[in-house]
Amino acid sequence: MKCHLPAALVLLATLPSALAAADGAPKPFERGSWQKLLHAHAGHPTLVHFWGVTCGPCKVELPQLGQFMKDHPGIDVVTISADLVPNLPEATRSMLDHAGLASAENWIFGDGFAERLRFEIDPAWQGDIPRTMLIARDGTITTIEGSAEIADLSKWSDAQATAIR
Amino acid sequence: MTSASMTYRKPAARSVLAAVMLAALPSLAVAQMSHQHASEAACEETVLRCATKVTPAFGPDGTLWLTWMAGGQISVASSKDQGKSFSAPVQVTRERLNLDWGPDARPKLAIDAKGDIAVAFSIFRDQAFNGQVLTARSSDGGRSFDLPKPITSNNQSQRFEAIGFDPAGAVFAVWLDKRNRVPAQQRGEKYDGAGLFFASSKDGGATYSDPQLAADNTCECCRLALAFDGAGHPVVVFRNIFEGGVRDHAIVTFTGLATPGEIHRVSRDDWQIAACPHHGPSLTISAQGTYHVTWYTNGKARKGLFYARSRDGGKTFSDPLPIGRPNRSPSRPQIIAGPLGLAMVWKEFDGQKTSINLMTSHDDGATWSKPIDIADTADSSDHPLLVSDRRRTYLSWMTKADGYHFQAVEGEP
Repeated sequence: MKCHLPAALVLLATLPSALAAADGAPKPFERGSWQKLLHAHAGHPTLVHFWGVTCGPCKVELPQLGQFMKDHPGIDVVTISADLVPNLPEATRSMLDHAGLASAENWIFGDGFAERLRFEIDPAWQGDIPRTMLIARDGTITTIEGSAEIADLSKWSDAQATAIR
Repeated sequence: MTSASMTYRKPAARSVLAAVMLAALPSLAVAQMSHQHASEAACEETVLRCATKVTPAFGPDGTLWLTWMAGGQISVASSKDQGKSFSAPVQVTRERLNLDWGPDARPKLAIDAKGDIAVAFSIFRDQAFNGQVLTARSSDGGRSFDLPKPITSNNQSQRFEAIGFDPAGAVFAVWLDKRNRVPAQQRGEKYDGAGLFFASSKDGGATYSDPQLAADNTCECCRLALAFDGAGHPVVVFRNIFEGGVRDHAIVTFTGLATPGEIHRVSRDDWQIAACPHHGPSLTISAQGTYHVTWYTNGKARKGLFYARSRDGGKTFSDPLPIGRPNRSPSRPQIIAGPLGLAMVWKEFDGQKTSINLMTSHDDGATWSKPIDIADTADSSDHPLLVSDRRRTYLSWMTKADGYHFQAVEGEP
């Protein structure tokens, strides 16, 4: 079985994400996805937002984030649904669409072992959502626990723009 | 350890399958793959092995009862030999339901002195994930259950129910309920969180009294902890929303089934956050009448798992005692006053596997033993729960890779 693994990994790394992007479905966030995500956005100011479909404060924040993305085209906006559920992708996608985040880079926890996924991202994170990580060009990560103030996000975004000049 | 190697082999096998399918039926393959990986369940049937949440309770005759959610249904089974073997499961639900799968949700059961059983659980009733609390009872010793029905006719979201029989045989139920949101919004006011509502049943859970409010604007996404004091009054610990959006724990001792007492603060952690922690408290009351509480916080004053006790009926609490190794994400604390003393369990995660850690106290919480690992698993798992019969305390823990554990924890070295 082991000898097939590298081939499978190559396929997994390319095909599903390409297909997922094509039909707008969130990509499965699995073991190792966090490092890939960091690598893919290295050097770009990136906002990573963790949320879930059953989280009340998330429902309030998500549309604000959609507006933020529209207003700040220079920031890579990534969302990761960190809830676990069977049949979640549809509900997740629908909420992202309504929030104006359909064109963001959207992921969904794709491994039932959520403790392990969270540990890869931040060992201190116990799963509270919403949660936002602001990743600067130099890789510095600022974590906002709970709902973010859009004014704070804009301030951070402006600082990123200043840093480039 | 076998479970560790299984954990690595399984995804590889699925990857190969997914890759083969991708070549033929791309979109189907993606759906299939994400479904299999995402599941917390080992399988899709209604049997115990496929459960994601399992809750135990002992009956007065020493029979162990379990209720679990698996395959979209709620089932019940019993064991006369401390979990070594189980009766044929009885299904409480009659059809596959969109059961509340939130991290802190689970079916509950309580058994009265006559052996009648009350069950409660939540479903998501709509696409917006509004919850509904359903209850069912068995009046034939668990051979059959009435059709589950809503605990209230109100249609606003309800979740995180807790139930228990008081010494007089009434069922007390408490849950989080969003019904006060609509009138607040109609008045143009912001409404935070959910109301802590309660009701009781004098007929073993067949019908419940009109729901009443114990506290409004409490945190809407954490389980509640319920216990009965020496006089048989319900005591509830919940994550409250204090002034300024601080989600710290509070406690209320009822003076009767319909009369909530004063609300007191368990600790000042100062966790100001507009978020769902998905991480509720645990409460037990010892024979001495001492309240013992464990909880999780990420506050300014302290972060992690903590324990405190109250010897004045919840009015004041001892200084919080930190639990577990801070670098191992200690989580999901549970505490119980058993026949041999207090036991506390929680999860830790080392980057590869989740372990269950145990501490015991034989002086009503004044001092605690050194923590020991008593179980572990290398894939997803339910919260560790504790349950006692007249002789011992047991760990009840459902795991995806290794199945259901039921083991005595007292007497461990």
